[in-house]
Amino acid sequence: MERERICFTLNNSPVEIHCHPGERLVDVLREQLDLTGTKEGCGQGECGACTVLLDGRAVNSCLVLIGQVAERSVLTIEGLAAGGKLDPLQTAFVTEGAVQCGYCTPGMIISAKALLMEKQNPTEAEIKEAIAGNLCRCTGYIKIIKAVQTAASARLEG
Amino acid sequence: MQDQVVGSSPVKVDAKDKATGATKYPGDLRVPGMLYGKLLYSPSAHAKIIGIGLADAWQVPGVRAVLTANDVPGHNGHGVIIPHQPVMARDLVRSVNDVLVAVAAETMAAAEEALRKVKIELVELPAVFDATAAMAEGAPLVHPEGNILSHHKIRRGDMAEGWARAAAVVENTYRTQMVDHAFLQTEAALAEIDDGGILVLHVATQYPHWDRKELSRALGMPEDMIRVVGGSVGGAFGGREDMSLQVQAALLAMHTGRPVKIVCTREESFHAHSKRHAMVMHYRTGATGEGRLTAVEATIIGDTGAYASWGTNVLRKAAVHATGPYIVPNVKVDAYAVYTNNPFAGAMRGFGAAQPAVAYEGQMDEVARVLGLHPFAVRWQNAMTEGCITATGQVLESGVGLRATMEKAGSLVGWDVSKING
Repeated sequence: MERERICFTLNNSPVEIHCHPGERLVDVLREQLDLTGTKEGCGQGECGACTVLLDGRAVNSCLVLIGQVAERSVLTIEGLAAGGKLDPLQTAFVTEGAVQCGYCTPGMIISAKALLMEKQNPTEAEIKEAIAGNLCRCTGYIKIIKAVQTAASARLEG
Repeated sequence: MQDQVVGSSPVKVDAKDKATGATKYPGDLRVPGMLYGKLLYSPSAHAKIIGIGLADAWQVPGVRAVLTANDVPGHNGHGVIIPHQPVMARDLVRSVNDVLVAVAAETMAAAEEALRKVKIELVELPAVFDATAAMAEGAPLVHPEGNILSHHKIRRGDMAEGWARAAAVVENTYRTQMVDHAFLQTEAALAEIDDGGILVLHVATQYPHWDRKELSRALGMPEDMIRVVGGSVGGAFGGREDMSLQVQAALLAMHTGRPVKIVCTREESFHAHSKRHAMVMHYRTGATGEGRLTAVEATIIGDTGAYASWGTNVLRKAAVHATGPYIVPNVKVDAYAVYTNNPFAGAMRGFGAAQPAVAYEGQMDEVARVLGLHPFAVRWQNAMTEGCITATGQVLESGVGLRATMEKAGSLVGWDVSKING
């Protein structure tokens, strides 16, 4: 496969990589950039474990080709805790017990992040819709929704 | 240390790393010199293997190992009860769980290409995909010793007396389907040989100690030469109690002298692990005019697929739970685990106790309907309390919270519980 130079912003820093533009974003993140916080669960855009932000919108990185992110901005779970300080969502997932096996957690937090970037104080229905593309097989949805609510109110109060 | 433990809500020790993406599941591991492994599953559910051609697969650039059953040095089988599920099938495939070939290559793309180049020659055999049909005379045999893996019986009281006392008898057949655990993290393993010659296997598993025993048996290697590291597990729910790709990953590492990682795709994952037993449950339930149960007769047939896994134990549990939390003086239960050419069934949340609930609760509703009683009232009068004896003879000495739970649940759905019970 012919490689190309692809430049984009990753977790707020510019990166330059060399790969075939047809490679999946999830593979480049995990295999080439060693950012394994982004998980793969199905490879078909069904489970949401591989969710990342692309220009602020939640996308399944298994359905995005690396060529599509050129000159754009990608944020993964590793980029959320800027300078080691946890995002309010990450703190809330920990304190509310919203983490069980943890495999859905990064994608779940990223989907919730996209929501909170758009809406300061989302309703429960809006939270459910925002994470509708993220499966949790341990079935911890109630605590996950609570965690997103906690993070939203912490931000409003803080 | 906190003084009070019960009632406190401590933070889970691994929650922070999971929320930041720092946690490494086996599929996240990478070590220098690592190869990518991949397994070829049988395209057929029951077939004779005529030949497996590997020459073209070896020609793919970057391929370092192409292994078959001939490369299994120890016992070519694993299983928690009966070690008869082949590491790699030799002469016969009995289900789409069967692995035929394992490859290791420098890249995932090369491993995939090599598997595409394997030439499999199979002759299809008559197969059986229905557990009831598999019990019949003349059904295709999944194993030469017969298709019935186990038969558990429960006998209590006098069935004739139970039917004689019944004002109503309801009889129905209930069916539940096969279910996949679909844990979010697919199977993954990283095998390597360390400087001391110890086989180290990183794998998401429910039983590291049992994995070691299975590896030892299949590799013909003492247990003290094997170290199984059970790291973070991305969901299991019973589906990681059997071997999936542990032995094949180990074999590839031993043959290449290099670390080998295998990660299943979602499709491969469906081939790699057990399922919840599909059950056919035929129930006959008798009750007095007031709704007191007099007899339950149940025949439960569980489709255990092509391999035993925990099938015997799951159907035993189905039998033990066949009458639910209700007092039944006369009981006859027959529970069978039956081989078919379906994917093998094993442990999954509830371990055989979940399926009969569909049947015995359905029967309670039917008893209520036939007798013109409230379904809550029928359950209430038959509910087990302290001192009750189960169908298997267990005396429930303490901690029987059924009626207290029913009262709360009934009130929550808006029923006037005391009025219903008269």
